[in-house]
Amino acid sequence: MMDLVHSDRNETQIQIRFVTKQERYAVPNYPLSIHSSIVASELNNIINELLKESNDIQDEVEFDFLVYSQFLRTSLAEHIADRGIFTEEVIEVEHVEKHPLPEPKDCLIHDDWVSAVAVCGKWILTGTYDNKLHIWTSKGKHRLVIPGHASPVKAVAWISLDNDKASFVSASMDQTCMIWSWDIIKNSVECVHVCKGHKRSVEAVSVNYNKTLMATGAWDNMLFVWSTSTQEEDDSGESAPKKARLEYASKTKAPKCAMKGHKQAISGIVWSDKTEIITSSWDHTIKIWDSELGGIKHEIHGDKCFFDIDYSPLSRAAITGSADQHVRLYDPRSAEGTILKAKFTSHTQWVASVRWSTVNENHFISGGYDNVVKFWDTRSPKAPLFDLMGHEDKVLSCDWSNPELITSGGADNTLRIFKSKHEAS
Amino acid sequence: MQEHKDDICNKTQAKNMPNDEDEYDEYDSSDEEDTYNTVGNVPMKWYDDYNHLGYDWDGKKIPKPEKGDELDNFLKRMEDPDFWRTIKDPQTGQNIILSEADIDLIVRIQKQKIPDVQFDEYAPWVDWFTSEVMKTPLRKFPEHKRSFLPSKIEAKKVSKLVHALKMGWMKSTAEMQKDREKNQEPQFYMLWQSDDQAEEMRRIHKHIPAPKRHLPGHAESYNPPSEYLFDNKELKEWNKLKTTPWKRKLHFIPQKYNSLREVPAYSRYIKERFQRCLDLYLCPRALKMRLTIEPEALVPQLPSPRDLQPFPTTMFMVFKGHTDMVRSITAEPGGQFIASGGDDMLLKIWEVSTGRCLKTVPCGGVIRNIAWCPNQTISLIAVAADKKVLLINPGVGDDLISSKTDELLEIIPQSEKIVIDRVRSAVQWDQVEREHWSIGIRTQRNVRVYDLVKQEMVKKLLSNSQWISTMAIHPGGDNVLVATYDRKMLWFDLDLSTKPYQTLRLHGAGVRAVAFHKQYPLFASGGDDRGLIVSHGMVYNDLLQNPLIVPLKRLCHHESYNDFGILDIMFHPIEPWVFSAGADSTIRMYT
Repeated sequence: MMDLVHSDRNETQIQIRFVTKQERYAVPNYPLSIHSSIVASELNNIINELLKESNDIQDEVEFDFLVYSQFLRTSLAEHIADRGIFTEEVIEVEHVEKHPLPEPKDCLIHDDWVSAVAVCGKWILTGTYDNKLHIWTSKGKHRLVIPGHASPVKAVAWISLDNDKASFVSASMDQTCMIWSWDIIKNSVECVHVCKGHKRSVEAVSVNYNKTLMATGAWDNMLFVWSTSTQEEDDSGESAPKKARLEYASKTKAPKCAMKGHKQAISGIVWSDKTEIITSSWDHTIKIWDSELGGIKHEIHGDKCFFDIDYSPLSRAAITGSADQHVRLYDPRSAEGTILKAKFTSHTQWVASVRWSTVNENHFISGGYDNVVKFWDTRSPKAPLFDLMGHEDKVLSCDWSNPELITSGGADNTLRIFKSKHEAS
Repeated sequence: MQEHKDDICNKTQAKNMPNDEDEYDEYDSSDEEDTYNTVGNVPMKWYDDYNHLGYDWDGKKIPKPEKGDELDNFLKRMEDPDFWRTIKDPQTGQNIILSEADIDLIVRIQKQKIPDVQFDEYAPWVDWFTSEVMKTPLRKFPEHKRSFLPSKIEAKKVSKLVHALKMGWMKSTAEMQKDREKNQEPQFYMLWQSDDQAEEMRRIHKHIPAPKRHLPGHAESYNPPSEYLFDNKELKEWNKLKTTPWKRKLHFIPQKYNSLREVPAYSRYIKERFQRCLDLYLCPRALKMRLTIEPEALVPQLPSPRDLQPFPTTMFMVFKGHTDMVRSITAEPGGQFIASGGDDMLLKIWEVSTGRCLKTVPCGGVIRNIAWCPNQTISLIAVAADKKVLLINPGVGDDLISSKTDELLEIIPQSEKIVIDRVRSAVQWDQVEREHWSIGIRTQRNVRVYDLVKQEMVKKLLSNSQWISTMAIHPGGDNVLVATYDRKMLWFDLDLSTKPYQTLRLHGAGVRAVAFHKQYPLFASGGDDRGLIVSHGMVYNDLLQNPLIVPLKRLCHHESYNDFGILDIMFHPIEPWVFSAGADSTIRMYT
């Protein structure tokens, strides 16, 4: 078998040892001597040969290789030289099964730019620039169109979803957020609350983990926290006009808490904890807020406008899209040292939205104005795992709440759905 | 024996005794006359080997007195009370008993007192010449110059000597000694020294000797080998070059003579010598010092663009939607929206973050210029369309402000003031400038600065160019950037002078738009060459430091349309992003 590797090339030899966390692909861990200019595909052949010898796995499996916790993308020699590591020791090469390629599944055509998308279970909620909300099933069936806003919808989020009832929130440039309640069986929707308080267009909305609170950020630099309860607390026995006025009054909702601190528009909000909110803003800062105390806990300074932020409880890190080509990975908790952990560069235009995977701590997607959604692994900062092509114009939003569905909405009036196979782990 | 001795002693004493009659005796120091011995002042040890001590006046030997033995000495010491003051006169060999006065004198000398007892050490001081500075000098005339000025003649002499020492004409004693020693040794010198060495010319520095003439070759010989003699063909060629003799290989025809005696006088001798003299005299031989100036040294030291970040570097957004040239763009003060207008008579409002056209307002005329109201409490855009000025409420942003503005717009605004004298039709555009309410008015060739409070002209900036296209005022207020159609941009520092502080020739065609950033030290310019040039323009707060201008980046993405390139430029009010409106009906954003 080694002869297969030792071809006529006379390069320096490197000792490697294969390790893996996936039990069924374990191979005997004696060190192997290979030539240094080996690339991932050749390593893949070796692994498959080894597996055939030792185990009873007969079909070919595609592997990816982690050397010093980064994916091997160039030859092994270059990879090692980049990190300035001795070649004399035995190098541990971790092999993981390659993430299966997400397949394009559907393309849902809208009437205008799709600026917001949220997935919950099999339902896809989208907001568009023609002031409407749409509900689709993951199979691509259009269920409902909801007019209501007076200006383009900028953000949507699900609040709750039962078998027969669901509620969600939409934020728009008309300075309001609307909380909707949707009867799935009857397929009827009703605006439960209109959240008024922002003075400029609302850019971002986020619902916390136990779905009781939501936070909104807008161009008036304010961060508002609202309750999401859809209960209408009304008492009977009032006269009709008064009741109508009351009904209107109960429909409009006031914020529970208003927090001031950003100097420019808030572009992205994410709850990182029960009470902790992380916001990204055009004023080049990321701020971490305590929603109960109503103040800033911590602040991270960047050097570009931030357009979107997402936080993963699995990896406890935040990724941001900003007014340049890079996706940046921050550790919001570290106070000293480098807060910027990594920079992912492959987009050629602004990155408008970023989302973590909800199941894998290393995976995330980013949608850029270069019409591409990129599928990243944090261990490969130079190149994404996959480029999800398809959009013909800017990608404005993306979502990966359902681990099997990668959705992205763009300025080409479409919502693209990619099926991401859940890797066995 | 004892008698004899006493006799002499007495005699000498008698001689030494001052004689009362002798008037000179007291001060006469000469004691030659009364010395008994005539040998004079010679060392008496010369007489050690003799029995006598010298000679007396009569020439007789003076015998050495008897030396008593130790016993006699001892006895004398014991018995003679004057023994302690008896000394021996070496001249005579006699014993002398010192008198009281002598002893006293010796004692005083030993005590380092003045020997004369009579002398009064503490006599009162007689101040013959006063030590105090007198107010009126005794000598009335001023000090001579030479008493306080160093002598020039001496300095000249010294410098001459120093020069002589330096040049080696004069030598110090040590050097002379060395030379003398050297001269003792045999001297050698190069016999043919002057042949292989340049002649030493002391006065001419870096003297270049005249080029040597070529040594005569075989052809010059009176009896050259036959191959050097011309055959017919060579002779023909030689004759052919009569008019251009400098092209000839040889300047003479080699000739053969049987003997040296037969060689005639050389007819061209005088002429050639003269030519040689002319060559030496007319062609100056000098080393020319060439200044080596690197081209880099001529370029002023500018900081590297890397250090001046952030500034726009790449195009990130294209706002498409207009159907004709976009003539003017303006940004909302908050930075969320921009507005544009152009030849398609439409005012468009765009969202910056997505490039989405949110609103389109038809204006009924070619839009020449638009401006968003800088006051954030009013939502207004002023549009210069055709021959009208339209005030349009874009209705984006805060709803409350927009509805208030609508109320405000119901009152028709009226012109408050008709503009000042001497402004002809060439006035195109004006800009209000910071707190002291001055206004810049650009005419066809000059920029005038007016004070609006006093209503008078403050300054007139001389542009020195044919046609000014536009201008921009630095947010600090003291600097004005003027663009002209003859490819120049003129940076005026109002504190310095009315002439341009710097003239920037960055564009290949007429400059149509310039803009300053409100916060970052950036300015941009765009012109008919389709290029947008972003430059760093730092204005310092202290008046001593002149503005620093560094061109940073040329961004060329617009397409040419009817020979027009970029028509307007604007910075984002907060971010270091620049927008350019092009004749190709697009607006582009660079970050």
